[in-house]
Amino acid sequence: MLRKKNRINIFIDMTPMVDVVMLLLTFFMLTTHFKPPAEAEVLLPMSHSKFKLPESDVMTITVTKEDRIYLGLDSQVLRGRLFGEDYALKSGIEVADKKTLAEMLIQARIMNPKLRTVIKADKNCPYGPIEDIMNILQKVKITRFNLVTELEKI
Amino acid sequence: MAGADVAAPKHPKKGGKKHKTKKRIAVRIDMTPMVDVVMLLITFFMLTTVFNTPQTMEINMPPDSDVKVEVAETALLTIRGTSDGALYWNMGIEDPQKIEFKELRPLLIDRSRGNPKLITLIKVERNGTYDQMVNIMDELNLAEITRFSIAPFKDIDRQMIAKGLGG
Repeated sequence: MLRKKNRINIFIDMTPMVDVVMLLLTFFMLTTHFKPPAEAEVLLPMSHSKFKLPESDVMTITVTKEDRIYLGLDSQVLRGRLFGEDYALKSGIEVADKKTLAEMLIQARIMNPKLRTVIKADKNCPYGPIEDIMNILQKVKITRFNLVTELEKI
Repeated sequence: MAGADVAAPKHPKKGGKKHKTKKRIAVRIDMTPMVDVVMLLITFFMLTTVFNTPQTMEINMPPDSDVKVEVAETALLTIRGTSDGALYWNMGIEDPQKIEFKELRPLLIDRSRGNPKLITLIKVERNGTYDQMVNIMDELNLAEITRFSIAPFKDIDRQMIAKGLGG
Protein backbone atom coordinates (compact mmCIF):
# COMPACT_ATOMS: atom_id res chain seq x y z
CA MET A 1 0.00 0.00 0.00
CA LEU A 2 2.62 2.51 1.05
CA ARG A 3 4.85 1.81 -1.88
CA LYS A 4 2.06 2.12 -4.38
CA LYS A 5 0.96 5.47 -3.04
CA ASN A 6 4.51 6.66 -2.59
CA ARG A 7 3.34 9.04 0.14
CA ILE A 8 4.46 9.01 3.69
CA ASN A 9 2.36 10.61 6.33
CA ILE A 10 4.60 12.96 8.28
CA PHE A 11 3.64 14.23 11.66
CA ILE A 12 5.68 17.21 12.75
CA ASP A 13 5.66 17.82 16.43
CA MET A 14 4.73 21.45 16.69
CA THR A 15 4.96 21.74 20.46
CA PRO A 16 8.42 23.42 20.67
CA MET A 17 7.49 25.83 17.94
CA VAL A 18 4.24 26.68 19.67
CA ASP A 19 6.17 27.24 22.89
CA VAL A 20 8.49 29.71 21.24
CA VAL A 21 5.71 31.43 19.37
CA MET A 22 3.69 31.81 22.53
CA LEU A 23 6.66 33.32 24.31
CA LEU A 24 7.13 35.80 21.50
CA LEU A 25 3.47 36.59 21.57
CA THR A 26 3.46 37.34 25.28
CA PHE A 27 6.58 39.44 24.83
CA PHE A 28 5.01 41.54 22.13
CA MET A 29 1.72 41.81 23.97
CA LEU A 30 3.41 43.07 27.10
CA THR A 31 5.87 45.44 25.49
CA THR A 32 3.46 46.94 23.05
CA HIS A 33 2.07 50.31 23.70
CA PHE A 34 0.08 51.49 20.83
CA LYS A 35 1.22 54.31 18.71
CA PRO A 36 -0.89 57.25 19.79
CA PRO A 37 -2.92 58.48 16.86
CA ALA A 38 -1.26 61.62 15.65
CA GLU A 39 -3.33 64.76 15.40
CA ALA A 40 -1.65 65.66 12.18
CA GLU A 41 1.03 64.33 9.92
CA VAL A 42 4.33 65.88 10.81
CA LEU A 43 7.67 65.38 9.12
CA LEU A 44 10.25 65.53 11.87
CA PRO A 45 13.59 67.25 11.51
CA MET A 46 16.77 65.23 11.95
CA SER A 47 19.25 65.63 14.76
CA HIS A 48 21.99 63.71 16.53
CA SER A 49 20.44 64.22 19.93
CA LYS A 50 19.98 61.02 21.88
CA PHE A 51 17.43 62.03 24.49
CA LYS A 52 14.47 59.72 24.47
CA LEU A 53 10.99 61.08 24.55
CA PRO A 54 9.53 60.49 28.02
CA GLU A 55 6.82 57.88 27.99
CA SER A 56 4.27 59.41 30.28
CA ASP A 57 3.17 62.84 31.44
CA VAL A 58 3.78 64.38 28.08
CA MET A 59 2.10 67.42 26.66
CA THR A 60 2.69 67.76 22.96
CA ILE A 61 2.42 70.94 20.99
CA THR A 62 2.18 69.92 17.38
CA VAL A 63 2.85 72.46 14.67
CA THR A 64 2.10 71.48 11.11
CA LYS A 65 3.47 72.79 7.87
CA GLU A 66 0.35 74.90 7.44
CA ASP A 67 1.08 76.66 10.72
CA ARG A 68 -1.77 74.98 12.60
CA ILE A 69 -1.19 74.33 16.27
CA TYR A 70 -2.52 71.31 18.13
CA LEU A 71 -2.24 70.60 21.79
CA GLY A 72 -2.16 66.98 22.85
CA LEU A 73 -1.95 65.20 26.18
CA ASP A 74 -1.18 61.56 26.76
CA SER A 75 -3.58 61.04 29.63
CA GLN A 76 -7.23 60.59 28.80
CA VAL A 77 -8.39 61.81 32.20
CA LEU A 78 -6.51 65.03 31.83
CA ARG A 79 -7.78 65.54 28.32
CA GLY A 80 -11.33 65.19 29.57
CA ARG A 81 -10.75 67.78 32.24
CA LEU A 82 -8.91 70.22 30.04
CA PHE A 83 -10.68 69.98 26.71
CA GLY A 84 -14.12 68.85 27.92
CA GLU A 85 -15.44 65.31 28.05
CA ASP A 86 -16.35 65.29 24.37
CA TYR A 87 -12.74 65.52 23.39
CA ALA A 88 -11.37 63.05 25.93
CA LEU A 89 -11.02 60.30 23.37
CA LYS A 90 -9.26 62.47 20.84
CA SER A 91 -5.53 62.69 21.26
CA GLY A 92 -5.47 66.45 20.93
CA ILE A 93 -7.34 69.48 19.83
CA GLU A 94 -6.54 72.31 17.53
CA VAL A 95 -5.71 75.54 19.27
CA ALA A 96 -7.17 78.54 17.54
CA ASP A 97 -4.82 81.23 18.73
CA LYS A 98 -1.75 81.64 20.81
CA LYS A 99 -3.48 83.26 23.73
CA THR A 100 -5.68 80.23 24.35
CA LEU A 101 -2.59 78.07 24.03
CA ALA A 102 -0.96 79.98 26.86
CA GLU A 103 -4.04 79.60 29.05
CA MET A 104 -4.34 75.90 28.31
CA LEU A 105 -0.68 75.36 29.09
CA ILE A 106 -1.14 76.98 32.47
CA GLN A 107 -4.31 74.98 33.19
CA ALA A 108 -2.65 71.73 32.21
CA ARG A 109 0.33 72.45 34.38
CA ILE A 110 -1.93 73.15 37.33
CA MET A 111 -3.71 69.83 36.84
CA ASN A 112 -0.50 67.88 36.53
CA PRO A 113 2.69 69.68 37.55
CA LYS A 114 4.78 66.77 36.32
CA LEU A 115 3.83 67.38 32.71
CA ARG A 116 6.71 67.70 30.30
CA THR A 117 6.28 69.91 27.33
CA VAL A 118 7.31 68.71 23.93
CA ILE A 119 7.26 70.63 20.69
CA LYS A 120 6.68 68.50 17.66
CA ALA A 121 6.95 70.64 14.61
CA ASP A 122 7.20 69.93 10.94
CA LYS A 123 10.63 70.49 9.49
CA ASN A 124 9.24 72.66 6.74
CA CYS A 125 7.29 74.79 9.13
CA PRO A 126 8.41 78.42 9.20
CA TYR A 127 10.42 79.38 12.25
CA GLY A 128 8.11 82.27 13.22
CA PRO A 129 5.35 80.28 14.95
CA ILE A 130 7.96 78.19 16.77
CA GLU A 131 9.58 81.36 18.03
CA ASP A 132 6.19 82.55 19.26
CA ILE A 133 5.54 79.25 21.01
CA MET A 134 8.93 79.37 22.66
CA ASN A 135 8.15 82.86 23.89
CA ILE A 136 4.81 81.68 25.23
CA LEU A 137 6.50 78.81 27.02
CA GLN A 138 8.95 81.21 28.56
CA LYS A 139 6.12 83.47 29.61
CA VAL A 140 4.17 80.68 31.30
CA LYS A 141 7.37 79.64 33.02
CA ILE A 142 7.91 76.39 31.21
CA THR A 143 11.61 76.76 30.90
CA ARG A 144 12.45 73.20 30.09
CA PHE A 145 11.01 71.64 27.01
CA ASN A 146 11.97 69.20 24.32
CA LEU A 147 11.93 69.34 20.57
CA VAL A 148 11.02 66.08 18.91
CA THR A 149 13.48 65.03 16.27
CA GLU A 150 14.42 61.94 14.41
CA LEU A 151 17.78 60.35 14.98
CA GLU A 152 20.20 61.00 12.19
CA LYS A 153 22.82 58.34 11.62
CA ILE A 154 26.30 59.71 11.68
CA MET B 1 -7.13 16.64 10.34
CA ALA B 2 -9.39 18.80 12.43
CA GLY B 3 -9.91 18.34 16.09
CA ALA B 4 -8.13 15.78 18.16
CA ASP B 5 -7.33 12.55 16.52
CA VAL B 6 -6.39 9.55 18.47
CA ALA B 7 -3.01 8.36 17.37
CA ALA B 8 -2.73 4.84 16.16
CA PRO B 9 -0.82 2.52 18.42
CA LYS B 10 2.86 2.58 17.58
CA HIS B 11 3.31 -1.10 17.06
CA PRO B 12 0.05 -2.51 15.91
CA LYS B 13 1.45 -5.97 15.22
CA LYS B 14 2.79 -6.43 18.68
CA GLY B 15 -0.26 -4.64 20.12
CA GLY B 16 -3.11 -6.45 21.73
CA LYS B 17 -2.48 -7.43 25.28
CA LYS B 18 0.18 -4.88 26.18
CA HIS B 19 -1.98 -1.90 25.24
CA LYS B 20 -4.96 -3.18 27.02
CA THR B 21 -3.00 -3.51 30.22
CA LYS B 22 -1.67 0.04 29.93
CA LYS B 23 -5.11 1.51 29.30
CA ARG B 24 -3.62 4.75 28.04
CA ILE B 25 -4.53 6.43 24.84
CA ALA B 26 -2.01 8.79 23.28
CA VAL B 27 -3.86 11.92 22.23
CA ARG B 28 -2.41 14.04 19.55
CA ILE B 29 -3.99 17.42 19.21
CA ASP B 30 -3.73 19.06 15.86
CA MET B 31 -2.22 22.42 16.64
CA THR B 32 -2.35 23.88 13.16
CA PRO B 33 -5.35 26.18 13.67
CA MET B 34 -3.97 27.43 16.96
CA VAL B 35 -0.61 28.11 15.37
CA ASP B 36 -2.35 29.98 12.58
CA VAL B 37 -4.15 32.24 15.01
CA VAL B 38 -1.08 32.76 17.17
CA MET B 39 1.02 33.66 14.16
CA LEU B 40 -1.56 36.18 13.08
CA LEU B 41 -1.53 37.74 16.52
CA ILE B 42 2.26 37.84 16.51
CA THR B 43 2.41 39.62 13.20
CA PHE B 44 -0.21 42.05 14.45
CA PHE B 45 1.72 42.91 17.58
CA MET B 46 5.03 43.06 15.76
CA LEU B 47 3.66 45.54 13.27
CA THR B 48 1.91 47.75 15.78
CA THR B 49 4.78 47.90 18.26
CA VAL B 50 6.55 51.21 18.37
CA PHE B 51 10.16 50.31 18.82
CA ASN B 52 11.86 53.59 18.30
CA THR B 53 10.49 56.21 20.58
CA PRO B 54 11.34 59.50 18.95
CA GLN B 55 14.46 61.35 19.95
CA THR B 56 14.22 64.75 21.47
CA MET B 57 16.40 67.73 21.96
CA GLU B 58 16.18 69.22 25.38
CA ILE B 59 16.21 72.95 25.80
CA ASN B 60 16.43 74.82 29.05
CA MET B 61 15.52 78.43 28.89
CA PRO B 62 16.28 81.10 31.43
CA PRO B 63 13.11 81.79 33.41
CA ASP B 64 13.06 85.50 32.79
CA SER B 65 13.82 87.03 29.47
CA ASP B 66 13.94 90.55 30.84
CA VAL B 67 17.29 90.06 32.48
CA LYS B 68 19.92 91.62 30.31
CA VAL B 69 23.23 89.88 30.20
CA GLU B 70 26.22 91.96 29.40
CA VAL B 71 28.50 90.20 27.01
CA ALA B 72 31.88 91.24 25.75
CA GLU B 73 31.49 91.80 22.04
CA THR B 74 34.68 89.99 21.24
CA ALA B 75 33.30 86.82 22.80
CA LEU B 76 30.03 86.88 20.93
CA LEU B 77 29.57 84.58 17.98
CA THR B 78 26.37 85.21 16.08
CA ILE B 79 24.92 82.75 13.63
CA ARG B 80 22.18 84.04 11.42
CA GLY B 81 19.89 81.95 9.29
CA THR B 82 17.91 83.63 6.57
CA SER B 83 14.75 82.58 4.83
CA ASP B 84 16.63 81.42 1.73
CA GLY B 85 18.44 78.84 3.84
CA ALA B 86 21.79 80.61 3.89
CA LEU B 87 23.88 80.89 7.01
CA TYR B 88 25.98 83.85 8.09
CA TRP B 89 28.30 84.15 11.01
CA ASN B 90 30.28 86.91 12.65
CA MET B 91 32.22 87.67 15.77
CA GLY B 92 31.22 90.70 17.80
CA ILE B 93 30.56 93.62 15.49
CA GLU B 94 32.30 92.29 12.42
CA ASP B 95 30.38 92.05 9.19
CA PRO B 96 28.53 88.77 8.75
CA GLN B 97 30.13 86.30 6.40
CA LYS B 98 28.35 83.61 4.51
CA ILE B 99 29.17 80.07 5.54
CA GLU B 100 28.21 76.69 4.19
CA PHE B 101 26.41 74.38 6.58
CA LYS B 102 29.20 71.80 6.35
CA GLU B 103 31.81 74.31 7.45
CA LEU B 104 29.82 75.37 10.48
CA ARG B 105 30.90 72.59 12.82
CA PRO B 106 34.68 72.96 12.29
CA LEU B 107 34.28 76.69 12.76
CA LEU B 108 32.32 76.24 15.98
CA ILE B 109 34.77 73.71 17.37
CA ASP B 110 37.68 75.95 16.46
CA ARG B 111 36.13 79.05 17.98
CA SER B 112 34.96 77.42 21.19
CA ARG B 113 38.37 75.87 21.79
CA GLY B 114 40.04 79.21 21.25
CA ASN B 115 37.74 80.95 23.67
CA PRO B 116 35.94 78.89 26.32
CA LYS B 117 33.88 81.88 27.34
CA LEU B 118 32.43 82.19 23.86
CA ILE B 119 28.76 82.99 23.77
CA THR B 120 26.83 81.80 20.79
CA LEU B 121 23.75 83.55 19.58
CA ILE B 122 21.36 82.06 17.07
CA LYS B 123 19.09 84.22 15.02
CA VAL B 124 16.79 82.69 12.49
CA GLU B 125 14.50 84.71 10.34
CA ARG B 126 10.80 84.23 11.04
CA ASN B 127 10.12 82.80 7.63
CA GLY B 128 13.18 80.62 7.67
CA THR B 129 12.43 76.97 8.30
CA TYR B 130 12.26 75.24 11.64
CA ASP B 131 14.53 72.59 10.16
CA GLN B 132 17.28 75.18 9.79
CA MET B 133 16.97 76.12 13.44
CA VAL B 134 17.14 72.50 14.58
CA ASN B 135 20.13 71.89 12.33
CA ILE B 136 22.02 74.83 13.78
CA MET B 137 21.25 73.72 17.33
CA ASP B 138 22.32 70.21 16.42
CA GLU B 139 25.64 71.48 15.11
CA LEU B 140 26.14 73.41 18.33
CA ASN B 141 25.48 70.28 20.34
CA LEU B 142 27.89 68.31 18.23
CA ALA B 143 30.51 70.98 18.73
CA GLU B 144 29.83 70.60 22.46
CA ILE B 145 28.54 74.10 22.85
CA THR B 146 25.75 73.48 25.30
CA ARG B 147 25.02 77.04 26.23
CA PHE B 148 23.70 79.28 23.57
CA SER B 149 21.16 82.00 23.17
CA ILE B 150 18.30 82.36 20.81
CA ALA B 151 17.38 85.85 19.76
CA PRO B 152 14.80 87.21 17.34
CA PHE B 153 16.01 88.15 13.89
CA LYS B 154 15.45 91.85 13.40
CA ASP B 155 15.67 94.29 10.53
CA ILE B 156 19.08 95.35 11.66
CA ASP B 157 20.32 91.80 11.15
CA ARG B 158 19.11 91.89 7.58
CA GLN B 159 20.89 95.20 7.06
CA MET B 160 24.06 93.80 8.55
CA ILE B 161 23.98 90.84 6.21
CA ALA B 162 23.39 93.13 3.23
CA LYS B 163 26.30 95.27 4.36
CA GLY B 164 28.50 92.21 4.82
CA LEU B 165 27.72 91.02 1.33
CA GLY B 166 28.21 94.46 -0.18
CA GLY B 167 31.52 95.16 1.49
